[in-house]
Amino acid sequence: MFNGLRNFFSNKAASKSIARSRLHFVLVQDRTGLTNEEMASFKSEMCSVIEKYFVIDKQGFDIEYKRETEMTTLVINSPIVVRRQEGQKHSAGSKHKHKQNQNNKAQTEESSDPQPVVAG
Amino acid sequence: MSLKNGTNNSKSTGQIIVVTSGKGGVGKTTTTASIGAALALKGKRVLVADADIGLRNLDVILGLENRIVFNLVDVAKKVCKPQQALIKSKKSNNLFLLPASQTDEKDVVDEAEVKAALDQFRREFNFILVDSPAGIEQGFKNACAAADKALVVTTPEIPAIRDADRVIGLLTARSVEPLLLINRLDQNMVRRGDMLSVEDVQDILGIELIGVIERDENVIVSANCGEPVVYNPKSKAGMAFNRIAGRLCGESIPIPDLGADSIWGKIGRLWA
Ligand SMILES: Nc1ncnc2c1ncn2[C@@H]1O[C@H](COP(=O)(O)OP(=O)(O)OP(=O)(O)O)[C@@H](O)[C@H]1O
Ligand SMILES: [Mg+2]
Repeated sequence: MFNGLRNFFSNKAASKSIARSRLHFVLVQDRTGLTNEEMASFKSEMCSVIEKYFVIDKQGFDIEYKRETEMTTLVINSPIVVRRQEGQKHSAGSKHKHKQNQNNKAQTEESSDPQPVVAG
Repeated sequence: MSLKNGTNNSKSTGQIIVVTSGKGGVGKTTTTASIGAALALKGKRVLVADADIGLRNLDVILGLENRIVFNLVDVAKKVCKPQQALIKSKKSNNLFLLPASQTDEKDVVDEAEVKAALDQFRREFNFILVDSPAGIEQGFKNACAAADKALVVTTPEIPAIRDADRVIGLLTARSVEPLLLINRLDQNMVRRGDMLSVEDVQDILGIELIGVIERDENVIVSANCGEPVVYNPKSKAGMAFNRIAGRLCGESIPIPDLGADSIWGKIGRLWA
């Protein structure tokens, strides 16, 4: 309790939160087998593919490589601002911003060693 | 007698469970000895096999170090009959040890040889627990060769969890079902937000949780005496290992809530 208070007042995050985010970082690397640079370019390429069809909120774009009991999933989280209208080019979304959160799940089979992921 | 979770061999009954971790020193040998003894206390016929060839330790944890004649390598190489290598526990008529060789290199045997050596004990035992060496090389592969399931032991720390994650990937690729065992948890540290909670570890690793063992001095006392901690019915670790044994037998025993996230832990999580 005292430590909790101390952390609270000193504005210092509990060390387990630091552990959590550091683990998250290493595990994405370990699980996908991609380097930092490869991950970054994978992200930006995925982004541009989705942007061909949707207006998206790039800030919220995130890729997660998650293991669940049955299978491992590549979760591409891309907040969509609006569905691109026909004929509409790259201009930003319409006045009515229907914010949808769409999860595009690409599923990959777990394989022996971390391998580069193929988004389906 | 018919057991749940039968094996791929239709004639056999016993199941083979490898205890593994990737990282060294997280509690594989302690777990193998303790759960083995706990299952034997429940009346199951149990064989604990030491697959840490060259660095054997299961014998001393069980207090059987002065009775070894033959070992796993001898059985695998057919130097002796399988039965000749088994050592009966002093404390239980149901618990037997198959020791590792102390003088050989890890790669004197291959996966097929270890699998054949262990599979022949399925007829006689309900459970065969295999203590794996640390690492993910040949010794690990040998230890997993015959396994139906795996207990993946980790502590709530980054290196141990990272290695456990790696091992889970390898086990899944081999169709060995991984079950998570969290060892050396400290409730106080979890409460003040300085240790990953059971929830955190489970969430990160994403496999079924079989149990949680707290950091407990009794583990060291028991190791000093060569008597698994489950014979001390008052120790927290002993009780937790007994509960895990129950779960392995298909009993539904809830996992106690050990220092669930405090409000401070939750705030810390929001800030991360
Ligand atoms: N729950 C616990 N509480 C306190 N001490 C523990 C606990 N579990 C294990 N230990 C101690 O940690 C040390 C390592 O345990 P153990 O030998 O079982 O690990 P291991 O994974 O088999 O190691 P190795 O990788 O070297 O084979 C031992 O000294 C043991 O007594
Ligand atoms: Mg060991």
